Formats: sequence, C-alpha cells, structure tokens
Amino acid sequence: MSAASRLALALGILGAVLLVVIALALFVGSAGLSPRAVARALAGRAGAESIESIVTLQLRLPRVVAAVLAGGALAVAGVAFQGLTRNPLAEPAVLGVSSGAAFGVVLAQISGLQLSFLEVLGVATFAFAGALLAAAAVYMIAAVPGGLSIQTLLLAGVIVGIFFTSAITVLISIMDYNRLGGVIYWLLGNLAPIPATSLALFAALALGGSWLILRSARELNLLALGEEAAVQLGVDVTRLKRRVFTAAALLTGSVVAFTGPIGFVGLVVPHVLRGILGQDNRLLVPTALVGGGAFLLAADTLARNIVAPAELSVGVITSFCGAPFFVYLLRTRYRATL
Amino acid sequence: MKPARVAALATLLLLVVSPAAAFTVRDMLGREVTLAAPPQRIVSLVPSVTEIVFALGGEARLVGRTDFCDYPAAAQATPSVGGMVNPNLETLVTLKPDLVFATDEGNREDTVRQLARLRIPVYLVHANRVAETLDLITRVGAMTERQAEVPRVSGEMLRRIEAVRKAVAPFPRRRVLYVLWPDPLIVPGRESMLTELIEIAGGASITATDGEAYPRFSLEAAVARAPEVIILADHSTGASTAGRSAPDKWKRLTSVPAVQAGRLYSADLSILHRYGPRVPDGIEMLARFIHPEAFR
Amino acid sequence: MAPLVEFTGVGFGYPRPEREREGGFSVTDVSFAIEAGEIFGVIGPNSAGKTTLLRLLTRVVSADRGEIRLAGRVIAPLAHAELARQIAVVPQEAPRPFPFTVEQLVLMGRYPHGPGRYFETDEDQTLARAAMAATGVLELAGLPLEQLSGGERQRAMLARALAQQPKLLVLDEPTSHLDLRYQLETAALLRRVNAEQGTTVLLVSHDLDLAAEVCDRLLLLDRGRVARVGPPTTVLERSLLERVFRCPVAVDLNPTSGRPLVRVAWPSGRAPRQGGDQSSPSAQGSRSEGSR
Repeated sequence: MSAASRLALALGILGAVLLVVIALALFVGSAGLSPRAVARALAGRAGAESIESIVTLQLRLPRVVAAVLAGGALAVAGVAFQGLTRNPLAEPAVLGVSSGAAFGVVLAQISGLQLSFLEVLGVATFAFAGALLAAAAVYMIAAVPGGLSIQTLLLAGVIVGIFFTSAITVLISIMDYNRLGGVIYWLLGNLAPIPATSLALFAALALGGSWLILRSARELNLLALGEEAAVQLGVDVTRLKRRVFTAAALLTGSVVAFTGPIGFVGLVVPHVLRGILGQDNRLLVPTALVGGGAFLLAADTLARNIVAPAELSVGVITSFCGAPFFVYLLRTRYRATL
Repeated sequence: MKPARVAALATLLLLVVSPAAAFTVRDMLGREVTLAAPPQRIVSLVPSVTEIVFALGGEARLVGRTDFCDYPAAAQATPSVGGMVNPNLETLVTLKPDLVFATDEGNREDTVRQLARLRIPVYLVHANRVAETLDLITRVGAMTERQAEVPRVSGEMLRRIEAVRKAVAPFPRRRVLYVLWPDPLIVPGRESMLTELIEIAGGASITATDGEAYPRFSLEAAVARAPEVIILADHSTGASTAGRSAPDKWKRLTSVPAVQAGRLYSADLSILHRYGPRVPDGIEMLARFIHPEAFR
Repeated sequence: MAPLVEFTGVGFGYPRPEREREGGFSVTDVSFAIEAGEIFGVIGPNSAGKTTLLRLLTRVVSADRGEIRLAGRVIAPLAHAELARQIAVVPQEAPRPFPFTVEQLVLMGRYPHGPGRYFETDEDQTLARAAMAATGVLELAGLPLEQLSGGERQRAMLARALAQQPKLLVLDEPTSHLDLRYQLETAALLRRVNAEQGTTVLLVSHDLDLAAEVCDRLLLLDRGRVARVGPPTTVLERSLLERVFRCPVAVDLNPTSGRPLVRVAWPSGRAPRQGGDQSSPSAQGSRSEGSR
C-alpha cells in the first residue's frame, strides 16, 4: 500500500474515532441532558435561552473545539520536536516553552494587569510573551554558528524550563493567599469554554502552526540521515530547524495560553501512532493532529464526568496516564538510544 | 409574520427597553448589575453569603451553593455546583439562576467572565471589615427581598460586638500573632479582616501593617515583635488531622512572651474567615484567647 | 570535453582549534580536475584534508579561497538541491539511530528531484527499486536498516545514492568497516555502475590497494596540499609515498591487474625473499653490512 493511501486510511479511521469522541463529549455531562435534547440544540431547533442550547452550544461545544485544537496542536508539536531532536522522548514541555508561557500567565495574574481592550486576551497575551521569551532563550543558548545544535537544544530546553518553573514558584511565594487557589488550579491545565473570538484565534494558530510543520514533514524525515547528509541531499537544514522549532514553540505557547500547561499529549500520541504507522513524519503529522485531538478530548470528557459534579483538571488525567507511560518507554524501548 | 406574533415581539421589545421593570444595582466592586426583577433563583459561590442568606431566612431563593458552603447544616440540602475555584458550569446553568454571588477573593475571574458570557448576572462581593460585612448583609437582604430581617441580624451582631469591646476595654492591649499557616509563615495583613477582629477583641495584631491580605512573614520578625498571644488556625476538617496546628513547634521559641506564658491557642478556621453572621462568634473566641480574665 | 569537477586554487580552514596546523589552513591551493566518466580517488594520511575536499565539493562548508566548478559552473551560488541533483554522497557510516526501512532510505535519495512534493511519485518508486536491484538489496526493502549487516547497510546506502541519479557519485571511505568479501563486492559494484551508467565516481579512501585497483586516476593529498595527481602508477611511487606517509613503504606490482600494490615495509628481520625488492631496510642493512 502506498504511503499516500496508508495516510488516507489512517486519517479516515482516526477521523471516525474523533467524531465518536466528539459525540460522546457533546452528549455526556453533568447537566444530565437527554440525547434528544442535545441533538435538538445542535440542530438549532431548541430555543436560544433553553438549557440544552446554553449547555450544548455555549458550554460543551466550545470546550470540545478547544480540546480538539489543543490536543492536535500538542501532538503535532510533539512529532516536530521528536523529529528535530531525533529523540522519541522529546516533548513540547522539553523546550521549556510551556513553563515560559505559564510564567507569563502567573505574572499577569499577580500584577493584576488587565489591558482593558484585550480584556479576554489579556492573560493570553502574557502567556504568549512568556512562551516566545522561553523559546528565544532556548534558541539563543542552543544556536551555534551554522545552526541549532540538537544536543544543546535539549539541555537548554530543560534548563530554561527549570528556570521558569522556579520563577513561577517565586511568584507564588509572594502571591496573596487568596489568589493562590486560582493560579494553582490554572497550572494543572484545564479546558474550559473559550469565547468565540479567542477560539478563532486559537484555531488559526493551531492550524497555522500545524501547517508549517506539515510542510516540513518530508525534510524532517531526511534529518534522520544526519545533518551533513541532509544538506548534501539539498535540505536547507538551518532554515528547517528554525522553521520547525518556531512553529512547534508557537503551537505549545498557544495551547498554554488558552488552556494552561497540559503535559504528555505530545509524548503519548506520537508514540502510539509510530507503533502503528512507522516513522514517516508525513504520516505522523496529520494523524497526530486528528489523533491528538481525539485523545485530549477523551481525557477531558473523562475528567469532566468521572467525579461529577466536581471536575478534574484534564492535565491531571494526562499526567496520570502519561507519566507511567513515559517510564515504561524509558525502561523498555529507548534504553539503547539514551 | 402573523399579527399575533408582531404584537408579542413588540411587547417583548418594550419589556426589554422599558426601564421601569429593570432592577439595577451596584455590587460591592462598583459594577452595575442589571436584572429584570429581584432575583428568585440565586446561586451563591461564596460561603459567607450562603450563611447570610440563611441567617436572613432567604434560603427559599437559594438554588445552588459550593461544596464549601457548609454552614448552617440546612445548607447541605441545597444542590452544590462544585468548588469555589472550579464550579461546574453545566450544573450551575442547569439550575437556571438569575443571579450568582461571587467574590474576587476565592472565585476565579475566569468563572465570572464565563458567567457574563452566558449572560448570567453576577454580583461580586468583597468584605474585609466588620463594617463591610454589615453592608454585605444589607445588600443580600435587598437582593433576597428580606430587608425586614436585616436590622435584626445586624443589630444582634452589633450588640455582641459591643459587648466584647466593653468586656475587654479595661485591659491593656495584648500583642497577638495570628498564624494562618505555620510553614511558610502566613499572617493576616492590612487588608485582612482578622486584623480588625483582633483589635475589637482587645488585641493588637503584630502584623497589622504588613502586606495586603495574607502575606508571608518571617518567623524571626514575628519572634522579634514578641507577641503575647499566639493563635494558630486549625485547618483540619472532620476526619483528617492534616493542617491541625502544631503548638509543639512553637514551644521551642522560649524567648516569646506568649510561649513563656503558655498562651498558645488553636482556632477554628471557618468562623474567623467568613464575613457573615458568625463574625461575633469569631470575635468572642478571640477575646477569650486574648483576655481570658475578662470572661471569668 | 570540459572536466566534470574542477578545483582551482582552493583554500579552506576550519574555524577554531583545528586551525592550529602549519599554515593555518586545512587545504591550501588545491587544484585538480576530475574527468567525466572516470573513477577518481583521493588518498592521503589521516587529516590530510580528504574529507574536507568532499565537504567543499558538496558545499557543506564554503571555500575561503579559489573556485570549484561542477560541469563548468561555479558551485558557490548554486542551491543545495541543485548540487544534490548532480552529486550523491555515500557517507562512511549509516546514520544512527535510523528508524526507517531500506526502501524508505532509498526513496530519500529522490528528494532533490522533487523537493516540493509531499509524497514520491511512481517514477520515484520505480527508480528506487532499480537502484536497490542494482546493489542487490531489493529483497531487503521492507526491513529496518538497523537490522541489516554492515555490508548490506553499505549497499543500501549506495542504493540511495544511485537513486539520486547523480552525475558524480562520491564515496567517503566505502570499505573502512567492511569484511574482505564486501570490499571486493563494493569495488565490483563501483566498476559496474561506472561502466554501465557512465557515472563519474569520486572515492576517498585510505585503503591504497582499493584505490589503486579501482581508480583511473588518483590525487595524493599531503597536509592539505596536492602532492601529485595522475594514474596510480605515477602517484603510488615509493619515495613520494614515504615522504607523504612518513613511514617506510614498499610498492609492488599486482601481477594480475598490473596495478601498483602498496604495503608498509615492516622493519627488522622480515625481509621478503622476492627479487627486486630494494626498498626493505633489512635488505639495505644487510647490503651495507655486506659492503664493509
């Protein structure tokens, strides 16, 4: 079967899975709506002020979209970092970008800065600034004349991540007791209904970043030959690394900005897909976009309903699944490459 | 369009536009809250407000509370929407509230914004002083149409507060250290109501001018200020002993007058940190710790 | 006919510590030409600059001085993809880790001919299969590269280079990790590719026998400079080799092929009994002793 048809088949299957998860997420929830009520709301036949409309269209639907976007973005960013570093354990958080973004948010909350015209996006803007600051720091540390040194990139990412996490701890320690709960809650990573304009921006960023990485998928494969060999095959390695790095940082930063730091999606989803589809990034990137969305949405639906009416943070679910998974990977498959 | 429908639409428009039916108030943060009529279905995301509603007898209009709204016991019957930090919006929406009480100290801004987007009116409260608590009681009374009960509840509170003031008046002020959390040391600052409560109870909080609401504080500085009474907040809830104050740790600080005199006390958290009808309970408890001689 | 590759006065030095060599340049004033259709070898001691020449040719690094031409065009302004359509490099070792299959590896060689495409075309697939067949790895196509033996891996890498359909095939130390049998195979493969497809071959090796047997002409590099260019018999001359490699050397003639056979002249008491071997020091020693 040619690669193109394998991709089509994989996307078809994952797409179907995604639709099932979306349906589940829309029909299940604390409000206890009957499936018929939800269907009515989705079809637009329920009154605008009715419970089913409000819950389905204003609470569940935006949250579903946010989850799919965030999950897809994180998974694609994971594939990108793993291709870039040639290390299957590389995670979006490995760059320290998540921590940088989180720092931005906490800083915004502490300083009480509300740029009024960006009211809804005020905190998100800070998150972006933090994400890009972290990404720039990592880039500058890891850049040597001629390009990005991949080993230094990993180390720089870890160090920058530690730095920003410590900075967050400092902020928390001087933060007022009352605000603490909100910040700590946010740091767990939560999906919540996002207003339409923000959602549109989030979608643009997630899809735009994913597109940039998709375009580089074939070159990412070639990177596995070694940088010198890739250059000799005609790949502009320096620009490739820069492009993929920036796009992946942007993806990670935007997810953190809109949903808080959520971990392990970029590790679990690409790994599972690799087991099924192989190493070809041209297959992994598009399937990660769809598969990541399904994964995070499933995790969020679980988080929303498992202890209803209370809600778990989705970051808790992904960490609980992801951390043992990471250990398992470390001990079984990747001992040799470490 | 059928004439009947046109008429209905017109009436609707008139109702929306007509100011006479609108019920606009300003909440405690100065925001304008507009309702069509006095609220009939109230969700309280603030435990103190829940207490006040019950004290005023307005619980018939209360359709939702948080898990932390645990007083009075009757409140358990009201459905809960989850935590203060992460209330379940679906559950909340299902309750069809026409007003939600929230605070800027304990609820998240994001929750307030979400409610605004769902076009559910939110009334924000904020009370750091006894006077503000009384104001809050009046406001809740207005919103629940239980204004008639306000004088009784407020009056009772004021009477008890006065009684304590009188009882401790003859005695010199004692320096008090209130420990919200021992490690890191967290104390009440300028903006905390506890500072005022201690003052009413005949004490002087040694951290009264420090920081805002509940700042970190250095243990050395606290020791240097030589408190005569140390009150430790007890965070334990029911079965769990986690967060129970550990007076032994403090007993090592033998230079501190409070330790020398053995004046270390454990205080029930929920009474002291709510701005509702139990404020006098808190003051009376503090007064007994600070000036036991006044109550023999 | 213009030469395929022309180096004219090329000089280059690596930045930083490696600069601490005489003259401060890794290669100095290198001029030579490779004719189309020939098998050309670059030999010399370690750190003579052999790999540097390769890197200069494929523009992994850029020359500080001089000019390099490919098919008459200066390569400095050419895009890497353009170069890749004409030059294919078989590196010394397969990359590690390398999680792809043989077929995926070989298909990578088609990238320069369609860098904008997402997937390879059917034509690419056909050419890849032909390349795999040419090097005898077609039946290993679906296997991960890491599961292959050293020789098979080398052949897969060669297939990838052939799939590039280059004018110039460059091999960096092609036999350094191979068993004798595979050395022979590789040599035969190169000759066949050169003969059947007219591909020019550039070989970098420190295996002088391979170079002598397979190459039409050789370039001997000595500390970054050209020591001699020419057919093996001219370049593999004893006194020259001894000067460049700084060790005693014996050059015989391979009776079968007529090509020079170079070997280290092992010292003390191991003088071979062949006639005409005047270069061994023990023979010289015994002669000088004898002349007392």
